[in-house]
Amino acid sequence: MAADKPNSLTGFSFARAEAAAMRPSRLEDEVVALFDQLRAPVLRYLLSFGIALADAEEIVQEVFMALFQHLRQKKSRANLQGWVFRVAHNFALKHRLKSRRQAERFSYVPDLSATTEDRGPDPEESVAASQRQQRLLSVVRALPEQDQCCLSLRAEGLRYREIAEVLGISLGSVAASLEKSLSRLTRAEQI
Amino acid sequence: MSSHLSELDLVMMADGELPARRKAEADAHLASCWSCRERVASLEATITGFVRARNLELNEQLPSAAGPRALLRARLEEAARERVPFSIGRLAGAGAVFAGVCLLALVIFGTTVNAEGPKPKFGITPGETHPITIAEVCRNPEAVVVARDIPEETRRKVFAAYGIRSPGRDQFEVDYLITPDLGGTESIRNLWPEPYSARWNARVKDKLEQRLHQLVCSGKLDLATAQHDIAVDWIGAYKRYVGTEASR
Repeated sequence: MAADKPNSLTGFSFARAEAAAMRPSRLEDEVVALFDQLRAPVLRYLLSFGIALADAEEIVQEVFMALFQHLRQKKSRANLQGWVFRVAHNFALKHRLKSRRQAERFSYVPDLSATTEDRGPDPEESVAASQRQQRLLSVVRALPEQDQCCLSLRAEGLRYREIAEVLGISLGSVAASLEKSLSRLTRAEQI
Repeated sequence: MSSHLSELDLVMMADGELPARRKAEADAHLASCWSCRERVASLEATITGFVRARNLELNEQLPSAAGPRALLRARLEEAARERVPFSIGRLAGAGAVFAGVCLLALVIFGTTVNAEGPKPKFGITPGETHPITIAEVCRNPEAVVVARDIPEETRRKVFAAYGIRSPGRDQFEVDYLITPDLGGTESIRNLWPEPYSARWNARVKDKLEQRLHQLVCSGKLDLATAQHDIAVDWIGAYKRYVGTEASR
């Protein structure tokens, strides 16, 4: 990060100098540990929401700052993973409302062709795998937004009850949504 | 359970979400039904394929956590130094009378603090510079205090970072912590919303910037010290280099 690089002429780094002088306390350590554990899953969820990486990183920062305040105020510690995803989901909705451009696209499926080349030793197998991935992800892209959210949260390991809380829907709706999405994916696999 | 398992049963079973009694019935059915076992295998293959494709695509986009972790750590340290935010839940527990007294104290104390004007938060605005020579700093005889056009998107990010909603153009100046004349960048890590109404406001800071420019270019202050002092505590720097009180 640019701010962490010392000024090449003055040799001064504000961020590093200040950070070195700081001693972490227990709550901060706990939040950073949760950040280490959940940053990647939350980032993946936000990316799947169609949010650009830089904005997603900012949202993750805000989520964990909010978590710090939540814990600092001695609020409930029950299911912090679900809490983090719920706050991230709400931030993502707000972010999308602000950005018309991002509101128009809801997909975590950019072009796979550039990223899946030369992965396997056999070019034919590689192409077949790539085509299968594209087929699956294009099916997901065509799903309604709520179904995509359910699928994405489930892929990140959330239980049905947690998904229901994050999205504010019933347990039955989560189960029905996943059943519908997986049925479509299975049909696409069989083509 | 004699009839085949429904699609919903299969999905809930794969996810471990079937109630215990129903799960026992489903297990018994699967033990005798090859057709449903094939459906379970097909469903698992679909889940595996989806998760593999998703992770392959998304994991490649994830950068290292080192930088974001360091930023979060710095912001947490900054937040830890601030008072615990107002909490309705805690207030309710403490009782209405006590809450009223606390609220009154908070309002009075808060007003006093705001009269000084909010200071840049280290976690959000630690100050950031780019390499610059003394010759470049001193190209102009005095610091240029005319506000440069900061992109609207950057302004929004700065206000959002400080939790300021719907800021009026006449209320705040999105100001450089380290002025560009001293090598400050246009990054949001070097920008913060400075209220015009506070005693220590943007116009007062302009005087400090002029003074630092003058001191650096006359050789009385080195550039690194000027950058450091204005970034760490610009009000303290004003008192040290300009005078003890803010003069508009």
